[in-house]
Amino acid sequence: MLPHAEMVHWLFATGILFVGLCLLCEAIVGQEVWRARPWRKYLWPGVAFGMGVLLWPVMAFFTNSSIHMYAHGSWAEVLMLAGGAELGLVHGRLTSPLWRLTWPLAFAVTGTAFIVHEQNSWLFARSAFLHHLIGWTFVIGALVPLALVLRPRSVVLQACMALTIVSVATMLYTDRDVAPVFDHLSPLAGAPHR
Amino acid sequence: MRRVLLAVFAALAFPAAASAHATLVSTTPPFAHELQRGPARIVLHFDQHVTVLPGGIKVLNGVGAQFAAHAHVVGTNVVARVAPLKLGAYTVRWRAISSDSHVVSGVWTFGVRVPAPAVGEAYGAGGPTASEHVVRWIWFLGLALAIGSLGFRIFCLRGLSVPRSLERRIAVAAGLGIAVAINAGIAAFSLRAEDALQLPFGNFLYGDLSPMAATRFGHAFVVMTLGFAGVLALVYVSWLLDRPTLLVPAFVLSVLFAGGLSWSGHDALDPGSSWKTAVADWVHIAAASVWIGGLATMVGLLWYGAPELRRSAFAQFARLATVLIALVLGAGTYLSIVRLPHLSDLWTQGYGQVLLVKIGLVCFVLVWGAFHHFVVRPTLDRADAGVLARVGRSLVGESLVGIAVLLAAAVLVDSKPPAQSSEQSPAGAATTLRP
Repeated sequence: MLPHAEMVHWLFATGILFVGLCLLCEAIVGQEVWRARPWRKYLWPGVAFGMGVLLWPVMAFFTNSSIHMYAHGSWAEVLMLAGGAELGLVHGRLTSPLWRLTWPLAFAVTGTAFIVHEQNSWLFARSAFLHHLIGWTFVIGALVPLALVLRPRSVVLQACMALTIVSVATMLYTDRDVAPVFDHLSPLAGAPHR
Repeated sequence: MRRVLLAVFAALAFPAAASAHATLVSTTPPFAHELQRGPARIVLHFDQHVTVLPGGIKVLNGVGAQFAAHAHVVGTNVVARVAPLKLGAYTVRWRAISSDSHVVSGVWTFGVRVPAPAVGEAYGAGGPTASEHVVRWIWFLGLALAIGSLGFRIFCLRGLSVPRSLERRIAVAAGLGIAVAINAGIAAFSLRAEDALQLPFGNFLYGDLSPMAATRFGHAFVVMTLGFAGVLALVYVSWLLDRPTLLVPAFVLSVLFAGGLSWSGHDALDPGSSWKTAVADWVHIAAASVWIGGLATMVGLLWYGAPELRRSAFAQFARLATVLIALVLGAGTYLSIVRLPHLSDLWTQGYGQVLLVKIGLVCFVLVWGAFHHFVVRPTLDRADAGVLARVGRSLVGESLVGIAVLLAAAVLVDSKPPAQSSEQSPAGAATTLRP
């Protein structure tokens, strides 16, 4: 008995929103204040790594098409890699800031998988529209963590990173027909799925 | 390369029409069921509207005769009436156009008063290909690297002062091995499904894999993927927190989850197999993984990376290898006797010939290992740097032969053992399905 895809999307949207809000807090109060409690530096990297682990059951159980399986698997891998690299950096086990390049990589892979696994046209159906919107947000948004590798102390870039992630979480909440936020975008797309 | 990049860019920039593609929610009759009488109709229930294609549902018997009438759409269902079916095994192949214009496809089997064959034995399904051998080999290599590096750290470096750089390299090797094993498992599952579906790559991407996920191999794939993802997290946490003790549960779990291959292979499913053959296969795989992976870890990571530990690690590995080789040979001999009851099967049957190649390679690597154990080990204490370098090169050679053994094992696993003449196949109908 598998949960509806919406439930899974919402669960991960919650995790992504949490990561985005943590990043936003860190950008607002500054790294020193954010890390005043030692456990806080592990908070969002740990959640990101944990979401990567939790994406494996999604990959293994949702086998309704090959391409969905590959998309879920690629997200699991890049999220574990980027979350793991960040944990290694904040714990001091990794020292090179170049490990933060795993974030633009994760964004680019995730965005491409979003776009490719739902080959949709613009503004046709909500799911189609949002998959493209999320995909392109990630692909273009990959420039932000890339710039952060070069200017890690930039508050503007930190805030941009946080807001990109919060935006993606919001889109993910509205990704299915049962989420009555945007309504059905075009009658040409046929009846809502459920 | 430029064309591939252009195609990828075009796919991103000019997407095809419409929304998320249709998902098959349920079928009548269900996957792999044995029915007492033939179904009057086939029903595919989707989560959204689909368009039916000509010949959208086919019900085929063991020789390819078609029994389904023209399919039509009723709500979110596709329905086709079926002519009366006699006793036997049947394959259902279906295709429909999803609202996103993708052709979604699938296959499943059922039996009328006989057990339903595995979906991989459906009418029209193909057998293993060379790419499956390669993927299986990579899967074995990943498992050997993961289990072997963890086992080497736990058993051969126990009580030694292990430098931090070596700890890190072992954790990376184990993590890499697990990642390779997970991805090779996904590829093996996809290729097995592709054997049953027999679709062009573009259509295969939207093919329904759920009937394959419902097989024993599918269950093993799910359990192994989830299990190894957990082990990967455990190895990572062990490295992050500098807690080598966490590698012990990671090793135990890796060995346990490697049993998925035995649980879903010939030695658990074929006629003549029992829980004893499945356990023997598991012992065979686990011991071989620790042996070959441990050897590769010693020569690849320790021999040149931590030379001060060479002598003690070599001595401990030699002791461990003795036990592992006994397990590999004992379990392998038992399985060979069960699979090939006649000695002549070794040269008259294809399975036996591959086994013969594997036995030859194993004998070669055993002789090489015996040379290291009985000749090299006693002299290691007084060996100079030149001798140690030559020993390192010799260990590389032994590892490479071990890797070749894994290739032979991969081909063997994908080969069909000869039928057991004295016993009736429990899925007898399955063997009659292929065209």
